[in-house]
Amino acid sequence: MKVIILIFVILSGGLLIYGTMDMPAWGDPNSPANTYVSPLYIEEAYSKTETPNIVSAVLADYRGYDTMGETTVIFTAALICALLLRKNSDDDEA
Amino acid sequence: MLDFIIAKYNFWIYVVLMMIGLFAMLAKRNLVKKLIGMNIFQTAIILYYVSIGVKKGKVHVPILVGAHGHGEHLFKAADYLNPLPHVLMLTAIVVSIATTGVALAVLILIYRRYNTLNEDEIIELRQAEQEAEV
Repeated sequence: MKVIILIFVILSGGLLIYGTMDMPAWGDPNSPANTYVSPLYIEEAYSKTETPNIVSAVLADYRGYDTMGETTVIFTAALICALLLRKNSDDDEA
Repeated sequence: MLDFIIAKYNFWIYVVLMMIGLFAMLAKRNLVKKLIGMNIFQTAIILYYVSIGVKKGKVHVPILVGAHGHGEHLFKAADYLNPLPHVLMLTAIVVSIATTGVALAVLILIYRRYNTLNEDEIIELRQAEQEAEV
């Protein structure tokens, strides 16, 4: 069984390495990810949000609703942990 | 050839890390080791995304230099790292913390009931339980 899994893992890894052949070089300033939309955020983040830290500006201003949803994720996870691990008196070791 | 390796070797490291995580998730019988494999898998993906935002040369981290008290001046995009992968991976880290926490809580319950975290032993105990019920 482990041999089949190992072959599957090596095949999927080889597929991904084949995929990296088309990736832009590491640290290339002209790669698509660095030229398409991110220059806009770097140039306009301070004049629009008055925050020097661009990561905070995007996280809390541009994507504020997304961050609010993220707090819901954390709250739900904490709630599930509390409900699973509570001491239950009327439940016999279930 | 050497230039090609230097330009791509970081991606290959993340692929190897992902393979380690995937193998641990599929082949290990201990549930905690499976969970650690999932975390290694997530870390590989986070590293991959952060490495997309790297720019070679004299660049700053995405915190604007001299933003306060210097009046209006233009910031050039070529002087700063790409901030968007960092932001998105912050979200991914939060989600991975949430899943890890819930998974550990479930593992505690499994251990309390079966006194083991080995998958094969749990399946055997469960089959014995069901036969006892019938």
